[in-house]
Amino acid sequence: MESLVDHVTLSRLQFALTAHFHILWPVLSIGLSLFLVVMEALWLKTGNIVYYRHCRFWSRLFLVNFTVGVVSGIPMEFQFGTNWAPFSVAGGDFFGHMLGFEAAMAFMLEATFLGIMAFGWNRVSPRVHFFSTCMVALGSSLSAFWIMVANSWMHTPTGGVFIDGRFVITDKLAAIFNPDMPWGVSHMWLACIEISVFVVGGLSAWYILKGRHVDFFLKSFKIAVIAAIVVTPLQILVGDGSGTAVYEHQPAKLAAIEAHWETNPPGEGAPWKIIAWPNKTRQDNDWAIEIPYALSLITTKSPTGPVRGLREFPAEDQPPVLLPFYAFRIMMAVGFLLFFLMLWTAWTWYRGGLDADRIMDRKRLLLAWIAAVPLSYIGMETGWITREVGRQPWILYNMLRTTDAATNMPASAVGGSLLTFAVLYPLLFALFVYFAKRIIAAGPAEAVPPPPEAAGA
Amino acid sequence: MGLIEPYLPDIWLFIIGFFLLYYAVADGYGLGVGILSLFARDEEERSIMMESIESTWHDNQTWLVLLGGMLFGAFPLFYSLVLSSLYIPILLMLFGLIFRGISFEFRSNSDEKRTWSLSFGFGSLIVTIAQGFALGGLLSGLPVKDGVFAGSVWGWLNPFSVLVTAGVLGGYVMLGSNYLILKTHDEIQQRSYRISLLSSIITLVVSVTVHLRIVAMYPHAAGKWTHPPDCYAVWAFVLLAGIAFVLLLVSLEQRREIAPLFCNMGIILFSFVGMSVAMYPYMIPNVIASPLTVHSVAASPDTLWFMLVVVMVLIPLILTYTGYKHRLFRGKTTESGYESERGHG
Repeated sequence: MESLVDHVTLSRLQFALTAHFHILWPVLSIGLSLFLVVMEALWLKTGNIVYYRHCRFWSRLFLVNFTVGVVSGIPMEFQFGTNWAPFSVAGGDFFGHMLGFEAAMAFMLEATFLGIMAFGWNRVSPRVHFFSTCMVALGSSLSAFWIMVANSWMHTPTGGVFIDGRFVITDKLAAIFNPDMPWGVSHMWLACIEISVFVVGGLSAWYILKGRHVDFFLKSFKIAVIAAIVVTPLQILVGDGSGTAVYEHQPAKLAAIEAHWETNPPGEGAPWKIIAWPNKTRQDNDWAIEIPYALSLITTKSPTGPVRGLREFPAEDQPPVLLPFYAFRIMMAVGFLLFFLMLWTAWTWYRGGLDADRIMDRKRLLLAWIAAVPLSYIGMETGWITREVGRQPWILYNMLRTTDAATNMPASAVGGSLLTFAVLYPLLFALFVYFAKRIIAAGPAEAVPPPPEAAGA
Repeated sequence: MGLIEPYLPDIWLFIIGFFLLYYAVADGYGLGVGILSLFARDEEERSIMMESIESTWHDNQTWLVLLGGMLFGAFPLFYSLVLSSLYIPILLMLFGLIFRGISFEFRSNSDEKRTWSLSFGFGSLIVTIAQGFALGGLLSGLPVKDGVFAGSVWGWLNPFSVLVTAGVLGGYVMLGSNYLILKTHDEIQQRSYRISLLSSIITLVVSVTVHLRIVAMYPHAAGKWTHPPDCYAVWAFVLLAGIAFVLLLVSLEQRREIAPLFCNMGIILFSFVGMSVAMYPYMIPNVIASPLTVHSVAASPDTLWFMLVVVMVLIPLILTYTGYKHRLFRGKTTESGYESERGHG
């Protein structure tokens, strides 16, 4: 292991910090923009002013969130060049133009129409405004698509050959549709929707609990519940599929996630560890609580299916174990907790417990929805830890090592920028919380007249 | 494809040049307005200045993201070499962009308007200075050995790059004041006429000095000024830039409102093209080892071709919708500005 202060470790820490911070914001931009599309469509269709007020209220939160997403996103694109120059040269042929596509197809669309969405209420007709909101939503989801294509390709780099330290594309479509891509894209896009569903639902629950604008927020709460009924089970299924893809294409990563050291002999099933203490020097777990046959069953759909253990891979090709193992378990627990919360809520609704006069008494349910807001973000972040730490020691799976991919420069330069990020980002976070709290405390404006030429009114 | 293939890197150089130019002009006036806002009389003036670009600064800035992504894809070696060797100015630019980027949204939600106006002003100043040093560092030449930067992390800091930074500062202030002439009236507009004149003259003097220094540093660039047929192109663009400059002075004198900004764009376009012709085919000038040409830093022909097809569809589309938006938000900014139409939901 390198020393703590060398340029590679510092660049890795900087990337980890900036990426984990950045991803907090686009997830809500993606999901909330779709929510805004739904609300604006409902307004145009029904002419009910309540939906219009929902658009105005949530778009204020959207804009503050979007702002932090943008300013923390630009450093992501440039960091590949500044801190990962050898990777940029090796992977640029594919990776670079995916980022280029993202900017040209998605981000530009989003940035331009956002201006109309935010400042254009009185300048354009409701239809053009609705179109702008749709373009913002389309742009943000397309952006997620291209970024996840690029990221998936780092996990399963297909569609070309690696010669003289450079990846040369021979088949563009095979690179774009790499084996991990369908899972990477869908798992992350669903995560965006799921988090946004719980943010909208959780904030609505908070207002209902406080007895403020109960009828108003019951509307958004119920929309969130309906979305959760679709999204939470779907995400578990996609997560399972994603795990199978890891089993097929990144066996060392799967073994690390499961702290699975020894390949199960034919006829015997691999157990699933609920909790364990992996020990890399001993190449075994110090202790573990296991469910027999479960790992084979989950990954191969057969109780005795073979699952390769970590010992089959040379020590220098093994990813860290402790971090992916626990991060994965936290993510999975969150996924199921959100699923059970959905079941509980759906049952309550079925029994009439979500009626305006009864929902106030469902304090525990509402509190659970509020708690689900940070929980859903924790699920996403631990998912990313599982995914990216599990990819180590490779930056480009089985082709280029992370340690060979960092720019060679004085540690003091990277240390300086890392320190600046470490000061700036918590400050940004605190400012966001401050402004978000103000917007939430103020609540939706009571009497906002819709634009003069409003349709349906 | 066979006929075009050998020229793909050149076509891409042209496209990247267009992105850079669009960014420098569009975000240039935004950054210029930001720097000028630091010298505003009061918060009301700062407010008008910020509102003049409020609805469009973000997509203008996005051309930088587009430039970064396309540069990464089309010229991966150039992208990695330039960004890694100019680490400090590039990171400084990113930090500046953070302060500038948050200022608009936070200001509209805050009671402390002044704090966020200053965040906008100083953020813009930091971004401009960082871009100046990055450009100055690149034009000073980057020592490259075996495809890796072999110079110092402070190599971009030298008297020449300070001069280039002064030029970029002057150029953005010039653009910003010409934009304010178009978008405001009364006090701010009158002052902008004076600032535009002053910054134009400073920028002219600095640019001429920078060009002379480049000719002195790079024999190959000097050759372009003297040897036909390249010298015809170089001199033609210098002449065009000169004409645009004279027209700018005339339009300022006549107190025109739209013409100064367009003359300013002309100056930048012609001097940028002239400078590019003088530098071609070198993308990274280098006084020590051999410089890197357009062709040596480009991605594989397949990638360039694929990207070209996609971009040829996207650029007209982007120009259409950004053009529509600029039309939508045309007109003067006043105290009531866009603020009154903003509403609060």
